[in-house]
Amino acid sequence: MVRRKLIKRGQIETACLLAPALVVLALVFVVPLARLFSLAFTDPAGPFATFETLAGSPVYRTIAVNTLLMAFAVTFICALLAWPVSYVLSRLKGRLFGLALYGVLFPFWISVLVRTFAWMLILERNGPVNRFLMALHLTDHPLALLFNNTGVLIGMVHVLMPYIILPLYSAMVRVDRRLLLASDGLGASLLDTFRRVYFPLCLPGLAGGATFVFLLSLGFFITPSLLGGSNAINLSMLIASFVNDRLAWSLAAAASMVLLAAVLLIIAAAAKLLPLDRGFLAR
Amino acid sequence: MSKLPLSLRIAANAGCSLVLAFLVLPILSVVPISLNKSSFIAMPPKAYSGVWYGRFFADPEWHSSLVHSLEIAAITTVLALIIGTLAAIGLRRVNGRLRVGLTALFLAPMIVPVIVTAVAFYRSALDIGLNGTIIGMSLGHTILALPFVVINVGISLRTIDPNWISAAEGLGAGPFVIFRTVVLPHIVPGLTGAAVFSFVTSFDEVVIAVFMAGYGNKTLPVKIWESIRLEFTPVIAVAATMMIAIAIVLFALSHSITPKADEAPQ
Repeated sequence: MVRRKLIKRGQIETACLLAPALVVLALVFVVPLARLFSLAFTDPAGPFATFETLAGSPVYRTIAVNTLLMAFAVTFICALLAWPVSYVLSRLKGRLFGLALYGVLFPFWISVLVRTFAWMLILERNGPVNRFLMALHLTDHPLALLFNNTGVLIGMVHVLMPYIILPLYSAMVRVDRRLLLASDGLGASLLDTFRRVYFPLCLPGLAGGATFVFLLSLGFFITPSLLGGSNAINLSMLIASFVNDRLAWSLAAAASMVLLAAVLLIIAAAAKLLPLDRGFLAR
Repeated sequence: MSKLPLSLRIAANAGCSLVLAFLVLPILSVVPISLNKSSFIAMPPKAYSGVWYGRFFADPEWHSSLVHSLEIAAITTVLALIIGTLAAIGLRRVNGRLRVGLTALFLAPMIVPVIVTAVAFYRSALDIGLNGTIIGMSLGHTILALPFVVINVGISLRTIDPNWISAAEGLGAGPFVIFRTVVLPHIVPGLTGAAVFSFVTSFDEVVIAVFMAGYGNKTLPVKIWESIRLEFTPVIAVAATMMIAIAIVLFALSHSITPKADEAPQ
């Protein structure tokens, strides 16, 4: 009797501990999301009319494809550029290691808005990049680096790269160097050792980081809005424009559901296919 | 492989240096521009002066936006720390599927695209008149900060041996005494990390703030966002420099307070 009472008291305590966070989450997150999504089915033309509008319009389809392609391009470039940084980080020690690590962590702490603004200054028509290219005679007229996909790509790679460098680095430091020596000693070429030993061991970190970068790029809003503008609209910008410019809440709700469904699908697929273990949430 | 040929090592080092320069230098470029004398944004500036800093503080819209940002970040930090710490302690006391489900729920705001969260919360806030209020924006930011608190405090809770709690209970300590004397000392590092992260998350946040801000209580990022799209003056570079400075101060603060355990991120 006493024991059961104690257990019950413990459960009430646990519930009280969890309750404040659950209430705030419900009020600010869960209920508003459910209410927004329910709006998707309120179009006068029928419950699924909003989804038909989205799927039927070539403009919206192009935006969805553009969002996906951009996410692929950003992830690919981030994954490529992360290799030398993560590798050197995994070999460095002491002061130099600290310095290089700060180089990766510093951008994390700076607002995405500030970083995007900096790129607007740098990629401008008369900005330093264009003047540099023209001084080298690589081009005789300023290139359009801003308000198109090029600008978005550069800005998003800059913002998202730390998310893949860190998991890849932590996979690399866990690689047992004796395995590489053994492979070397058994006569494998450098390329073979990389392909058959080093790369597979780094894969969890790489895959985890790449998944995270891809997810974040799908839902990116600030950087594409400022660096791409109306020439490089993605799904997030479309949702914002449904709300702000057209007051089309049911379409905004439907597009939000599409975006969230894409994100959840990728997480489900990644959890099944990739050796994510610790890589995914590693920072 | 254990010893890369010299050419490859040079290539790796060069690649690493270039990428690090690409990550850091563009951010710092706003600092000289904030000190530009002319009213055109030019890089590098031809003459330096602090005139735009004067403009920033003379314009009530700019400096009050900084105050709003600090206010909202402070409220967010306190709220997220309280509910997040309680939740992290509560999570340790449940098991099995319930624990997995609750953890997923607490981390969900990190996964759901911010634009979706922002539009959803804005819509519901409109219905109850919460839009355009400081508390509305703070609540929105609290949701984004919550996952960091739950993760950070959860990690430091793992350093506590359950036997210590049993021992304290056996010696007659109540839950509050146990929290203050056994739990709190062990989660201070996690709490400081979480506090700094919550503050920065709110202070830097744009998307929820852009939807939720009213005319009279824009945050600094909202004001920057609007100015970039409307007038594009060097004052934006001043505001951006201030955001960088505050971020650096917080970063340094968190590193001097927390022990060296986070030197190498996992």
